[in-house]
Amino acid sequence: MRAEALVARLLFLGGMISVTLMLTGLVTLEIHAAAGGHAVEIPRVVENREAGRSADVFVSLPQLARALRRWPPDPIAIITAGVVMLLLTPTLGLAAAFVAFVRDGDRAYAVISAVLMVALLFGFAFRLGG
Amino acid sequence: MSDLVFLASICAAAAGAGVLGAILGLGGGILLVPILTLFFGVSLPYAMGASIISVIASSCGAAAGHLRSGLANIRLGLFLALDTVAGAIIGASLAGILSERLLELLFGLALSYSAFTTMRQLQLEVPALETADRLALRFALSGVYYDRVLQREVEYRAARVRGGASVMFAAGLLSGLLGIGSGAFKVLAMDYVMRLPMKVSTATSNFMIGITAAASAGVYFGRGDIHPVIATPVAVGVLAGSYAGTRLIASLRNTTVRKLFLPVVLYLALSMLLRGFGIWR
Repeated sequence: MRAEALVARLLFLGGMISVTLMLTGLVTLEIHAAAGGHAVEIPRVVENREAGRSADVFVSLPQLARALRRWPPDPIAIITAGVVMLLLTPTLGLAAAFVAFVRDGDRAYAVISAVLMVALLFGFAFRLGG
Repeated sequence: MSDLVFLASICAAAAGAGVLGAILGLGGGILLVPILTLFFGVSLPYAMGASIISVIASSCGAAAGHLRSGLANIRLGLFLALDTVAGAIIGASLAGILSERLLELLFGLALSYSAFTTMRQLQLEVPALETADRLALRFALSGVYYDRVLQREVEYRAARVRGGASVMFAAGLLSGLLGIGSGAFKVLAMDYVMRLPMKVSTATSNFMIGITAAASAGVYFGRGDIHPVIATPVAVGVLAGSYAGTRLIASLRNTTVRKLFLPVVLYLALSMLLRGFGIWR
């Protein structure tokens, strides 16, 4: 498969998996709220960021992983897993490009893809590691 | 407004931003941030976080379609993304050292000139194939796509690659320093400096903006600026809209895309100049 087709497929799949996770979390959140569980009050959420970070937001990957391991999983954690998947999708696209260029023997672009991929992964791990 | 109507309205607005973003090579933040803050009362940090989600979702949806149709050039995108990401990293580390207002002023002037040149070539459908640039040959910065409107294959080759790469580096620098998106700069560098067809420029920009945004996404996530409940309708809307936009661009002329792009350049030039003069923040 050519690099273009491989990267296109990965970007599309990454986007679809991300929104599926996000929508699953959002629907679960609404079901929880209807059953009398924890509800996110949207008007409060959207207006109050200036006053400080909302309690409904995860800011590190270890924190998110802990919330996902609990049963039943926190719906906000499921949505956040979708967000993280979306943020990582361009990096996965670069990984696919790297594989395709290595396979095609295009060393210059394999190196460029690898450099970009490492830069993105380093930035992500550095900021979200915990 | 009920929660469901609120979320559906954000999703619809995001879909519109996604369609335009896919056609113009932008992430949609330029439209989405004012809509979220002015019409939906979303606080600015969450709107900026939603903007990052919008850029990446737009890049996923649009780039997937553009790469398949041959409009986006993956080699060109990666080659130029290297300059943008390097600029963004250096820009972020220079924040507080370089004068932001001076940079805004310089970019405002550069954009004003770009708006003028864009107006002058509004009727240019496909630029003439220029003599081979050494870097374009070395890095295979050329391609061909089938244009449905012109009903023929369009061949293109990047010219003035060093100039284009310098603009990309400067765009990254500005992104890193000021935290703004740089999709418009990428399109201008490819369209005006490197003499590429407008649709190839916007489609390749769509592929690149996801990489640039992902480089700074960790900052927004770590600060807690990406609220999951706002991110969801934005991601769903933008992804759907951008995918639709890739279908739409195939039926547009390069000149139409350039005419749609002109107001964006004018808006950016004006806002940069006003910020540079300290009139508007």
